[in-house]
Parts: sequence; C-alpha cells; structure tokens
Amino acid sequence: MVAALRQLSSRMLTANNSAKRTPHNSLDWMLWGVAWLGVLVILGLPLLGLIPALNDGLSANNWLLLWADSQTLPALKLTLFSAGISTIWALWLACSLVFLFYPSRAWQRLQRQLPVFLALPHAAFAIGLVLLLAPSGWLVRLIAPFFAWTAPPNWITTQDPYALSLTLALVLKETWFLLWILTSLLNQEWLLKQSLVAQSLGYGRWQMGWQILFPQLLKRLAWPLLAVFAYGLSVVDMALIIGPSTPPTLAVLAWQWFTDPDPSQQLKAQSLALLLIGLLLMGAALGYLAYLVLSKRLATPTGHRHKLRTYPVLKLALSSLLSLPVWLALFLLLLWSLAGSWFFPQIIPDDFSLNAWHRAAFEPFSTTIFIASCCVFIALPLTLLWLEWGSKQQAWLYLSLIIPALPFTAAQYQVALLLNFDGNLAAVIWSHLAWVLPYMLLTLAGAYRNFDERFVLTAKTLTYSHWQACIYIKWPMLIRPILAACAVGFAVSVAQYLPTLFIGGGRIETVTTEAVSLSAGGNRASLAVQAVLQALLPLLAFVLATSLSQWLGRNHQGLK
Amino acid sequence: MQFNYLNLATLVLASSLGFNVQAAETNWAKIEQAAQGQTVYFNAWGGGENINSYIEWAAEQAKQRYAITVKQVKITDAAEVVKRIQTEQQAGRTTDGSVDLIWVNGENFSALKRGKLLYGPWAEQLPNWSNVDTNKPVRQDFSESTDGLEAPWGTAQLTFIADRSKVASAPDSAAALLEFAKQNPGRVSYPKPPSFHGTTFLKQFLLELSTDPSALTKPVDPAQFATMTKPLWDYLDQLHAVAWQQGKSFPASDSEMHQKLADGELLISLTFNPNEAASLIEKGSLPKTAYSFGFKQGTIGNVHFVAIPFNAKAKEGAQVFANFLLSPEAQAHKADVKVWGDPSVLLADKLPAASQEAATASTLPADIPTLAEPHASWVEALEKEWLQRYGS
Repeated sequence: MVAALRQLSSRMLTANNSAKRTPHNSLDWMLWGVAWLGVLVILGLPLLGLIPALNDGLSANNWLLLWADSQTLPALKLTLFSAGISTIWALWLACSLVFLFYPSRAWQRLQRQLPVFLALPHAAFAIGLVLLLAPSGWLVRLIAPFFAWTAPPNWITTQDPYALSLTLALVLKETWFLLWILTSLLNQEWLLKQSLVAQSLGYGRWQMGWQILFPQLLKRLAWPLLAVFAYGLSVVDMALIIGPSTPPTLAVLAWQWFTDPDPSQQLKAQSLALLLIGLLLMGAALGYLAYLVLSKRLATPTGHRHKLRTYPVLKLALSSLLSLPVWLALFLLLLWSLAGSWFFPQIIPDDFSLNAWHRAAFEPFSTTIFIASCCVFIALPLTLLWLEWGSKQQAWLYLSLIIPALPFTAAQYQVALLLNFDGNLAAVIWSHLAWVLPYMLLTLAGAYRNFDERFVLTAKTLTYSHWQACIYIKWPMLIRPILAACAVGFAVSVAQYLPTLFIGGGRIETVTTEAVSLSAGGNRASLAVQAVLQALLPLLAFVLATSLSQWLGRNHQGLK
Repeated sequence: MQFNYLNLATLVLASSLGFNVQAAETNWAKIEQAAQGQTVYFNAWGGGENINSYIEWAAEQAKQRYAITVKQVKITDAAEVVKRIQTEQQAGRTTDGSVDLIWVNGENFSALKRGKLLYGPWAEQLPNWSNVDTNKPVRQDFSESTDGLEAPWGTAQLTFIADRSKVASAPDSAAALLEFAKQNPGRVSYPKPPSFHGTTFLKQFLLELSTDPSALTKPVDPAQFATMTKPLWDYLDQLHAVAWQQGKSFPASDSEMHQKLADGELLISLTFNPNEAASLIEKGSLPKTAYSFGFKQGTIGNVHFVAIPFNAKAKEGAQVFANFLLSPEAQAHKADVKVWGDPSVLLADKLPAASQEAATASTLPADIPTLAEPHASWVEALEKEWLQRYGS
C-alpha cells in the first residue's frame, strides 16, 4: 500500500515537475519574467561586451605581437604550472581528507573550521602567507636566533620566479573550496550505501575512496574543478601579492597591458584574454580525457584488498598542512596590525600600538559592507525565483565562474562605458552580481534539488497557489541553505578585486582594493589592518548565518 | 614725432595690459563661482600614506574655503588613468568624464598631450602662478614643453637611503655602487621597471654611464639606441649577477624597497622624495639610523604636475583646487617632513619663514647637483629594452 502510494505520488511529482516549468497564470508569468530579466541583465549583458574583444583579439597581427613579446612564453608556463598543479593538488588533498576522515570526530573539527577557511578572502590569505613565509617572514624569524642572523637570509621564498608560493597559496585556498563542494555531495544516500557495501566486502576506507568513490565524485566535481582551474588561470590579486614578478603570470600581464596607454599593448591584452579562454578549454579537454582513461582503468578492479591501515602520519600531516597556515596567517595579520615598529629578526613587535588602526581608512570598510549587502539583497530573490520559475538549463549561468575573470570583467567594462554607467556604486554592484548570483545559485541548487516536492504538492491540494506554497512552505523550510547562500554571496562580493577596479573606475574603494594596493609596499601595519578588515567581513557573515540558522533550528526541529 | 608715436604705443600697451589684468580677475572670480559645489575627482597615486593624508588635508581646506568637494581616486599608476581617458574619448564621451584632475608627469603627460586629451592652457592663468619659481623646470616636463596644460605641484630628486648601523660610507657613483654590490652580494636591487622608480633608476645610470649625455635630451634615435645604451646594459649585467635574487626578481616599488631596507634584506633603498627617509623614521617604518645620500655627479630631478583632462566635468573646481595647491600655505604644509616632505615649487621668499627647514642627516644633502630628465621618449624605449632583456 505504502509502496503504491509512493509510486503514485512520485509519478504525480514528475508530472508536476514538467508542468512547473511552463507558467500557467499571470503571476507565474510575471515571476518567470523577473527571473529571466534579472539574469539577462546580470549575466547576458556582459556577453555583448565580449564581441568587440573577439574582434580585436582574433586578429592574426595581435597574436604575432603577443608571440613576439619575450614575457609571453615564460608567463604562459608559469600560469599553466600554477593553475594546473594547484587544481590537481587541491583535488587530491580534498579527496584524501574525505577518504581519511569522513565521518569521524576529526572530520567534524575540519567542518567547523571550513567556514573560516572559505570566508577568508584570497588577498588577505596571500598577505598573511607572505608575512609568514617571506625571507623576512615569521618562520625565518623563529629560526634566526639559532643561526645568529641579523639580516634575512638570501633565500627565494614568496614571489619566487617559479610561482611555487603562488601555487601553494592556490592549493590551500582551493582545497577548502572543493571540500565544501564535497561536503554537500557526501550527504547523498548512494555514497553512504556504497561505502557500507564496499567496507563489508573488506575494502579499507582509503582504498575504497580512491577506487570506488573517487571516479563517481569526479564526475560530479567536473564543473567545480573547471571553476578552480579558471580561477587559477585568471587570478590577479593573489598573483600580485605572492606570485612571480619577472615575468608575472598571464593574468597579471594582461591586466598590465589592459591598463597601458600604448594601444598596441592593449591589443595584446585582448588576445591574451582570449588565450586564457583557450587555455581553459584545453584544460577542460585534457581533464575529460584523463577522466576517461581513469574511469576505464578503475572499471575493472583487481579485487586485491589493501591492508587495513589508519594512516596516522598522513592524517596529521594533511590536517595540519591545511589548517595551520591559515591560523598562522590570521594571527600574523592581527599581530602586524598592532605593531608599532617591528624590525628583523624580532619575533614579536618591538612595540605595540594602535596607530595603524587610528590611521586606517574605514570608508572602504563601510563601502564594502554596503556593496556586499546590496548584492545579497538583489541576488537572493533572483536566485529563488530562478530556481522555482526559471529555466532548468542552468549550466550557462555558471559561465562567469568558468570564463576567466579578466576577459569577463573587460567585457563588463565595455558595456558599462557604452551605457555611461561606470564609476559608481550601482555599477560595481551590478558587476559583482555576475559572481554573487551564480555562487548563490550553486550553493542553493543542491538543497533545492533534494527538497521533497510532496510538501508543495500537498500545499497545492490544500488550495495554496504555487507562489503561496513557496512563500509559506518551501522557502521557510529551506531557510538554512538560504542563509548559507547569503553568507556565500556576501563573501564572494567582498573578495572581488578586478570588477571593483575596472567598473568602479578606481573611484570605489573596498577593503580588497585597499589591501592589494597597500601590499605593493607601504606600511605593513596599515596593510595588515586592511587585510584583517577584509578577512573579518565574510567571517561575520558566516557567523551571522550559522547562528541565525541554529537559532531558527532550535524552534523548528524539521528544518534541513 | 617719432617720440609721440612711441608714447602712444606705450599708452595703448599699458591700457590693454591693465584691461587684461582686470579681465583675468573677473575671469577668475567667475571660475571660482562656477567651482562652488562641484566635486573634483583627483586621480593621484595612492601608495603613500603621507601623501594621501596631505591630499585629505587639502581637500578639507578646499571644502571650507571654496565649497568644493575633492575626492582622491587612489590609483596605482597614472598610465591607467591615461588609458581611461583614452577609452572615454573613443567611446565618444567628450563631457562628464570620470577624471577631473590628474597627478602626472613625464611620459604620461606626453601621451595625454599628444592625444589632445588635455584641457587648457590654464596653468599660467592661475593667480598663484605668480608665486612659482620659474627658474625651476616648471615649463618643461621631461624635455616636453608644458604649454600651460599642467600646473606644477612639487619637485623631486632621486635619493638613496641606507642605514648607518650597517653601511658606514655610502657609494657615491655608479662604479662605487657596483663595487658595493660585489662586496655585499644579494643586498642591492632596484624597483622593477616599468615602475616609475625603476625607470628613473635606469635613466640615472644611463646619464652617468653614457658617453654623450646631451643626446639624451633629444628624442630617441632608434638607429643610435643600441650603441648609446650599451654601457647601461653592460653595467646592469654585472650588477644583476650580484644583486638581490641574482637579478631574477625585483621589488615592485620604492615602498617595497624601504620595507626590505628596514628588514635588512636590502642595504640600499631609493626614493624620489629627498625628505622621504625623515618621514619614514618619523613613522617608525625605518630605524633612526637611516640616512639619505646621492651621487657626487648628481641625481635626476624633476617637477611633478597636475593636469585637467579635456572631458573633465568639474574643470572650474579642478582649477581652483590646483590654484590652492600652489598657495604658499599649501606648499609649506606639503614641504613639512612630518606631513609629506615634498619640496615646494614656489619662490623661496614667498614661503613662510618657519618652513625653511634645516637639513638633517635623513634628508638629501643640498650639495648633490640635480640632473635634468632625459626626453620623455627614452622612458618607453628603456622600459621596452629592459623587459626584453631582463623581464623574463
């Protein structure tokens, strides 16, 4: 009986699902229209700006110019190395963590730290890493007394010409991102069932992870991995802070050329932007090929069971590699922001003072809060409307996460200039939304998919309209993932560097632009203040979201 | 008869001059009136905290005195702004541009002037122009005539900084610097060109090492470039071999050099502000034993300016603010080591007596001669060649 009912309702559900996408009354039509309009303005409009870029970027002459520049080839190698290696390593690390720890108490500990790691903006993290790892950094200061050093050793650490430090920073930051994605996949039933079966067949966690779960996770990680690779290809703020300078990576080079008054440099930048897209496609193709090979090899396991081991050393190494640098970086940012003067080789500041905090400009801080809040307030309704009434074909919405940020931002800038809409807060908010909206969609989509539609169905049978069912039943039930998505959206907006600079015309200062411009020298204490502020904002958003959802959860046990 | 004619001519000339002065005064009153309530977006390099707070001070004064709102747009390189103005021109935005006033000199001024992207002439019509010391190169910007398209703001001279507790006697020539670098391998460097200070470093050494320095005041002759610059590249090849990170990397800016000097990672830093070391000591960013020095043959010096783009929205406000920047009070405040320490462009007797600072060990010794900037076209040529040779 129960089975029959379930079958019936699931059939109705599919019927309902297919009906859902074609709106049938005027309210539904309106909501459908709003969702499409919002998405087109935010994500469709910039694509128009890509057209002139394509025009210039494809000219053979520009490619020759690009090729003739002595920086291009070494920069290409550095970029491929840092983006490629960091993607592979981040994947390995994130999966290893899952296979080693899930679900254990240590896993819970990692999970609790995850929001901090995720929320920490790339720029602030890179600045903290430099304070930690540079030849005059804290680690060297720690060992300096043993060697009686009075000056920093002649070492090459951060901003090394091989982009190793940049790669390391990317690996650490992207591992947490992948871990976050994996966390949402782990709650799915198939995974638990399969691991139970595999373990009962005598497979250890590690072997089961890599042989059985990994290929399946890989399939679902395809888009996030592409986003990670794209980020590595086009990151400018992090590369400026901790990356090589002679030559820099391609993205930095493109950014320098874009802002060069010499028109021939600008033409090179257009081609370079296209090259970044080309590299992305190439990476995607290679990744797919690797996936095919891997899944073919793993399709026929030997059946050999590895010895059951607990890997204590690996566990300790991985979990500390992933969390220690963050805490140290944060600690050093705080310490430097309180330092009066602090010369090498002192381990703690010569004197403490609040001068840097008194001197600090707080206007960027409030501007950042304003921009990020506006972004969330606009993106949240749009996200919900889109998930409910928009198209089911969502892949193109993630375009801005996949296209390297540089060409995309340049396209936004073109459009803003044509519409006479640059250099003000509204324009910057619009440009941020191109990243905030997809990330919020990405965060919510999973929970939305897993939502049991029968609740809505029941509500409808009890005379609620579709809209009412969403307002009173569905969205309140999804309040936890919705709050999490808001925090993510906020954090994404805070971290934006290129669009703020381009579309804001340099007039709009956020903690991010302030921190990056101070990182090229300037007073370290002031730099640390801005970096602390930059790190603080998203963290506050996550704390707020978590405590709100805990508070709500206390009164509503059934919330997801 | 002839005498009479002459008299008449003098009379006419005198009366027309008087009329001009009057006209200028009413003109200026009109400009001041139009400026009221305007917002001036002042695009100025934002990497120096002391500079930023000076601009903030000047903005407050402008607000109180002339009811003008001045907002500093903190840029990292004036070239970005030149590009922005170009893009606006190409997009057909001939009014309501995003930049009202820009801090500029050298090749960026030359690019703006060539592209007809500047408003003016206006600079020499400013009331405070009469205070300007025209013996300083205020009408020449890297051998390019300013034509009243930009108003002088301050002067600068390449200055080296070291720490007395580590470097007892500083090198005073290119050859001595190379010798010093050999004795202290890995401790000498310079900001990476095309950063402003890096390029200035190249020009300094080109001037000193060149066999024919006078040719540098003329535009670059591509046929001669290789032979003229060979001594420079030979010198740099030797220097890089013993430089910081073997010359494979370079600090990004002068501020990063100062930071590395404070850390002890470098032994010599450089700046374009003769009073920089003093203000850095004041802030606790450099140890008290830091001192400034120059080369005995002299170091490059120049004047920096402010200009108004052709499509500026607040042209009047920008002129009134530029005029205030040239006032004795603003110039004296700017020259104060505790504030910014940027030397004035005014006649010495126009400045308040109190601001005639006594030179200290931390400022550049007065007996270091000032060398004139090479022609603006050298900047791009040197940067290109440098990137080609050492950029990758």
